[in-house]
Amino acid sequence: MASLLPGCAGSGAGLDANGQPIGGGQDPLVADFASIQSHVFTPICAQCHVGAAAPLGFRLDAASAYAMLVNAPSVEVPSLLRVNPGHPESSYIIDKIEGHAAVGGQMPLGQPPLPQSTIDVIRQWITDGAQASAALAASSGPTQLRAVAPLVDGSQSMSSTDNAGDIVIAADGELDVSSVNAASVTLTASGGDGTFSDGNESSIGNLTIVVRSLNPTVLDIRPAAGTLAADTYQLTIAGTGSTAVLDLSGAAIDGAGTGARGSDFVMRFSVGAQL
Amino acid sequence: MRIRVLLSLLLLILSASASAEPYFAAQQGLKCVACHVSPTGGGMRNAYGNVWGQTVLPAHYIATEGSSPWTGEINRYLAVGGNLRADASYTSIPQQGSTSAFDLEQLRVYLEVRAIPDRLSVYVDERLAPGISNNAEAYGRFWFDNQRFFVQAGQMYLPYGLRLQDDTAYIRQVPGINFATPDRGVEVGIETAQWSAQFAVSNGTAGGPAASNGKQYSLRAEHVQSVWRAGASFNVNEASDTGNRQMQNLFAALRTGPVVWLGEADYIIDDSAGPRRKQAAGLIEADWKVHPGQNLKLTAEYFDPDTAIDHDQQNRFSLLWEFTPIQFAQIRLGVRNYDGIPQNDLQNRTFVFAELNGYF
Repeated sequence: MASLLPGCAGSGAGLDANGQPIGGGQDPLVADFASIQSHVFTPICAQCHVGAAAPLGFRLDAASAYAMLVNAPSVEVPSLLRVNPGHPESSYIIDKIEGHAAVGGQMPLGQPPLPQSTIDVIRQWITDGAQASAALAASSGPTQLRAVAPLVDGSQSMSSTDNAGDIVIAADGELDVSSVNAASVTLTASGGDGTFSDGNESSIGNLTIVVRSLNPTVLDIRPAAGTLAADTYQLTIAGTGSTAVLDLSGAAIDGAGTGARGSDFVMRFSVGAQL
Repeated sequence: MRIRVLLSLLLLILSASASAEPYFAAQQGLKCVACHVSPTGGGMRNAYGNVWGQTVLPAHYIATEGSSPWTGEINRYLAVGGNLRADASYTSIPQQGSTSAFDLEQLRVYLEVRAIPDRLSVYVDERLAPGISNNAEAYGRFWFDNQRFFVQAGQMYLPYGLRLQDDTAYIRQVPGINFATPDRGVEVGIETAQWSAQFAVSNGTAGGPAASNGKQYSLRAEHVQSVWRAGASFNVNEASDTGNRQMQNLFAALRTGPVVWLGEADYIIDDSAGPRRKQAAGLIEADWKVHPGQNLKLTAEYFDPDTAIDHDQQNRFSLLWEFTPIQFAQIRLGVRNYDGIPQNDLQNRTFVFAELNGYF
């Protein structure tokens, strides 16, 4: 309770405007994704929109924001994209921060609206095509993949009842999307036992693979039926063999994240385990 | 009967309302469940809460000839309620000027269907405005052992700390358990004369789809005496891929004459969003009943966004006058002063507001 004593607001000594230790100075806000991330999404939005408990699963931390925004359908109004590149007037994020969204309150919730100048910068970024920043799009080594949704670290689960349950995979660079197809992306159900080695597995066919963005490449993978039955699933994106997914240089992905090209990306998750 | 239901719904639309205010409970020496359908408070008021809100809370009770106070009960099997909050606000931000706005904060309606009165019920809290309708809470609850224990399942607000009406309070905003973040799961609880305790297991996704096998576990226990109460909460969310988020708090209330004191201190260890971060938040609130129907509220709050970083702490001070002239209608006038690091203008804003708060 000692911390409750009033009159002890921080002096801000040695900190930037986000309350972080000064590293290289605070650049002004410009219509660039990294700039918007550091000035708006991280210090303001990610106070709530972070981690597993992010409202409606919508995360705006630096690792998730781009894949969660650009060409991603809104959960509240699925007919609208959160960010529709080139079209701020039909981007749901603009509706939310300007306060005329069809659902819920104006963002940031319970805080002053963003200054119009800040909204204008976000609008400009969308008008300019909602490009990723160079640092986000450029991969210095073999191209690796990571799961944006569902949150996974091994045997995990996702909902099959909400469009936020789409499988979203982000690369740390640009893929040759012509190599991403039904042969290179496979989804397998365990047969109800959670294992993938006893012969009762079944392949989920007719996957719809939507490329949300090219650089970095973000893939939205949806089953044709829209939802998955309760079971454990394994998603495999080939990094080996004739169906390997390639980057723009023609090299196979580093799916295992070992630093070497030519390995599969494998992710397991469960559906129906939610309470 | 049909006319009575229609009139009730019409009144719901026309009225405005008061949500959870823990100082009410501390002032009366009662538990939350004495006035609310939910054992942890907030949302729909029960018959006692409705009558108290009409006959004790306001400065004047306007009696209607030939009728008793509204209890919310359409019949033994069906009860309704509602809340409306509309406000005018002025925000001043250093270097950025000021803004003012009229807002409809919320219009909620509550419905409780008692399939087996006092035992089995279904409860719905629907937010009708602003925007299109969306669901806040929807669950079924079963009481047993003479309403000593309950179990409920569905979408609900999680039990954690003081359930203040003000979601912008640091102790509500920083833990992220507030009226904007119901979650889906199961909750069990015990209510005795002096104890109230709940344990919930939920998806840990604030109402979003389950993202992992990891769940959020919420435990809250409170000991209630007539002039004081004290409790503690513990919460761990294991639903993130990168790590857990663990929160704990202590909270207490004390009544000294016409003044009720509330306090809560929270400590958070967060491994769910990048490198480990430890945060602290706290609140001290004084509620002085200066006159029947009038309350003066003073709060001092503290927030340390990262205990590993020096000089980044924030304070917030609020002064509110709450005036309830007649039943169902409350006027709130307040000013909140934010005090943070000087290089962040938003952390040093001043917020002035006038709110119409209708409860039904």
